[in-house]
Amino acid sequence: MNNNTKTFTNYLVISIFFFGWVSHAQQFTDVTEDSGINHQYEVYEGTFGGGVTVFDFNNDGFEDLYITSGIKDDKLYLNNGDGTFKNVFEGSGLEVTSKYVTQGVVSADVNRDGFRDLFITTITTTDGKNIIPRAKNLLFLNNGDSTFKDVTNEYRLEDLNSFSTGPSFGDIDADGYPDLFVGNYFQEFTGKLGIIKDATIVSANQTARSYLLKNNEGNSFKNVYDDYGLGHKGFGFGGVFTDFDNDQDQDLLVNQDFGYKAVPNFLYQNEYPNEHFEDASKQTEMDLKINAMGAAVGDFNGDGWMDYYITNIKFNMLMENQGNGRPFEDKAKELGTYNLAISWGANFADFDHDQDLDLFVSNGDLNPNCTPMGNFYFDNNYNTYTEKGRELGINDYGIGRGSVIFDMDNDGDMDLLVVNQKPILNYPIASTTRLFRNDIATGNWLKVALKGVQAESNGIGSRVTVISKGKRLIREIDGGGSSHLSQNSVIAHFGLGANTKVDSVIVDWTGGNTQVLTNVETNQQLQIIEIAQPKNNQTYVWYLLGVLILIISGIYLYRKK
Amino acid sequence: MTIFFTNKIGKSLLILLLLIVTGCSPKEEQKMSDKEVVLEWANMTLFITRYTPSNSPTFASRAFGYTGLTMYESVVPGFTDYNTMNGQLLGLEKLPTIDDTKEYDWVLALNAGQSEILKNIYVQTSEENIQKIDSLEQVIYDQFQKEVEKETVQRSVDFGKAVANAIFEWSKTDGGHRGYLFNFDKTMVHPDRPGAWKPPLFAQSFSHHPLHPHWGENRTFASKNKEVEDPKMIPYDTTPGSPYYKQFENVYLKDLELTQLEKEAAIWWGDDPDVSFTPPGHSYYFAALAVEGHDISLIESTQVFAQVGMAVADAFINCWKWKYQFFTERPNTFVPKYIDEEWESFWPDPPFPSFPSGHAIQAAAAATVLEHNFGKEFTFTDRAHEGRERDELKETDFVIRTFHSFWEAAQETADSRFYGGIHTELDNEVGLEKGKVIAKNIYNLEWRNPHEQ
Repeated sequence: MNNNTKTFTNYLVISIFFFGWVSHAQQFTDVTEDSGINHQYEVYEGTFGGGVTVFDFNNDGFEDLYITSGIKDDKLYLNNGDGTFKNVFEGSGLEVTSKYVTQGVVSADVNRDGFRDLFITTITTTDGKNIIPRAKNLLFLNNGDSTFKDVTNEYRLEDLNSFSTGPSFGDIDADGYPDLFVGNYFQEFTGKLGIIKDATIVSANQTARSYLLKNNEGNSFKNVYDDYGLGHKGFGFGGVFTDFDNDQDQDLLVNQDFGYKAVPNFLYQNEYPNEHFEDASKQTEMDLKINAMGAAVGDFNGDGWMDYYITNIKFNMLMENQGNGRPFEDKAKELGTYNLAISWGANFADFDHDQDLDLFVSNGDLNPNCTPMGNFYFDNNYNTYTEKGRELGINDYGIGRGSVIFDMDNDGDMDLLVVNQKPILNYPIASTTRLFRNDIATGNWLKVALKGVQAESNGIGSRVTVISKGKRLIREIDGGGSSHLSQNSVIAHFGLGANTKVDSVIVDWTGGNTQVLTNVETNQQLQIIEIAQPKNNQTYVWYLLGVLILIISGIYLYRKK
Repeated sequence: MTIFFTNKIGKSLLILLLLIVTGCSPKEEQKMSDKEVVLEWANMTLFITRYTPSNSPTFASRAFGYTGLTMYESVVPGFTDYNTMNGQLLGLEKLPTIDDTKEYDWVLALNAGQSEILKNIYVQTSEENIQKIDSLEQVIYDQFQKEVEKETVQRSVDFGKAVANAIFEWSKTDGGHRGYLFNFDKTMVHPDRPGAWKPPLFAQSFSHHPLHPHWGENRTFASKNKEVEDPKMIPYDTTPGSPYYKQFENVYLKDLELTQLEKEAAIWWGDDPDVSFTPPGHSYYFAALAVEGHDISLIESTQVFAQVGMAVADAFINCWKWKYQFFTERPNTFVPKYIDEEWESFWPDPPFPSFPSGHAIQAAAAATVLEHNFGKEFTFTDRAHEGRERDELKETDFVIRTFHSFWEAAQETADSRFYGGIHTELDNEVGLEKGKVIAKNIYNLEWRNPHEQ
């Protein structure tokens, strides 16, 4: 069979996959073309990139997007609010990113001025001048008028020459200023490289130390990787800040490629208020020796502990949190999130509003030799999963990488954007970034946006709990690094089925503040502004204790019903 | 420093460090024997191979060829019943000659030559490693120059360095010079036919391009090794029961019933270039064990390293030529597609095509040379990976191995790839068979002068 016939057959098969189910009533709808999104990630060499962040950069209530494009110009998509997006990259002040091969992107309010800023990871420059591919990562402050200012050097990031992958914002010291974890893949350098000898070149492909960049009151960043006890060297794909042990500070889950050969995955326990991470990887059995590409964060079984879905080559892992002191357990096979592919992005969300977390997984082969592989959609039904990607029209066969959830049209359900790479060689379909509108959700919902006062402005790292008819649903506000090289919406979303009211909404702010709202109407977006508490105060402890007793008795009462 | 002491090379270097320290004291030190000098340099070569980043079995095999040859050529003029390779190897015609009327100290020549060739071939190694090479050279120099006339010392050192430099200049034209800069040809488009090699998913390396695709075009040491007959590959066939299918099915079935001993063999022979002295290094190490275990002269010792080095280098050139000529898939490609979707090999795939096995071909080449030099029987203990940390993921330890012949070790090298699930039995059989042919072409060069004595 010659190449053309083969390509045609592939195309035919895939066409049947795509169009065979068009008649199905409730699906995700691919609205990419109608929305004006026109994007394709172009790799520099090999298989790295790219990602997307969801951020409302003009504070108009519609969430916008920044998508990295590798060797091509990145895209800054302004959400017009009518289902369409406009690329406003030109003139945004972000054009300097075109000089770099961009990888991942995250957003937070770095200087606490009320506007979302951008941090973009890079692997090299696009001018082809680097013998050893390395470059600084880029930080942009939001000027508040839909333009950005490059403050990389001002924030002391210019000397960190790295081959960086996934970034993640989190507030490790709970001072309200978001810190950064940046995954590095190949050996990093500080400062300029002098004369490049063969020895420098051959050592460049060695494993890297990642960065832990502490935000100094919104003025600068300092690498505190060693000071905090991290210190590992590996092929890093970044990490995600998450509270795995329910002590209201941000721990760190780190994904490593080639974990069976270089260092494995890590789970670092934040010892806040001590400035230290304790390596809990072994005892929690989260030291996965796999090609970890990304992670989805969510309490899929509703037991109040965050679980993690780690993407991999062929075998993804659904790591179920068994509570403090007990190792995590991989439930992928048992619960059905087990189809084989090469997976990158992953997102937990209640897409169908039936009060449990479904799971989307973005799949894609390794450039340049690519075989099409469809994305997965695992529908959660009483904590077992059924793959319904094709049925729901979301099994796009592009070369998937980062994926994010957000409510593009503010209709209360979670839509999906998947970044796709450009195939280097022959490929049977156009592999372009896809936007899927959620048309499957039928039940009620609630969205919660946070406004931190002592905590990070968007509540990044804080936890929102909704208690409704005895069910407890928890969400963490994503600072990025979940999925792959990407960051989901910072607005917590809950599907509520037939419930028209929720009994309580509890916010556990990073740093220790807790707030409770009761008897909340559904089908709305709440904004909760943090009520600042004086720190280290006796009355505060009593208040917290009171709230806790209230919650516990609340749960107790509802369970009894 | 912890890794440093985990193997034999580390230990011998420790002894050296102690020597350097004690060298400052007036106490009388034990002078090394000629053979010990040879072994120190073989071990240093293995150490540099292990601790130079971005190394590959291909590049390493070439380096052993040149260091071994330099060892031999730096002493051969002192032994009239042995021949130089000058004029016998393609393009090697300008090796320096000695002044017959003058005296030479051959250990000093060897010492200088080894230091020079290592630093040239491994120009990409670290400053720290270069210092190690220099200090070994210094220690040996200090010991051996004592009873030798000053001018003879200089003449010997100069000769050793000149030999090394001439060989290095010659090496530049073989196609592998600074090959570590071209490990992967990123512009290369792979053949895309049924049964063609696909980049590994369970991989040893991050590259999705195959290693050194042009290595097979390199100049061989023995001209005859450029003309070895191509092996036969069986035709692609996915029908269950067909010879092709059976090759892969056997890999799969073996993996299902791997014993602990087989797992130990699989990880022992892994010889991953990122964490070890590479597969040809394992052969060079066996050469060192054989030299150590036999009562042989300086020239005989150097001949062993030259022959083993050149044999493994030629083995890799031929192997790589065939790997890219046939461009065949690994079990990790065939088995999940046609036998068991969830299957994954015990050991991760290296980044290059399957047929024939590089481990097998070089192990056979080395064993054949060693048998030719020492006879079939030799009992030795392989401590190459002694003390390495248990592989927790595979629940397997690195267990030292004892063999009663060189061939027994070569056979296990080949079998280990089958246990690891990364080679078919056919890959190994062909590798072993071709390795023997390649070795013969090396030892059949005119090493000894039949007219002398």
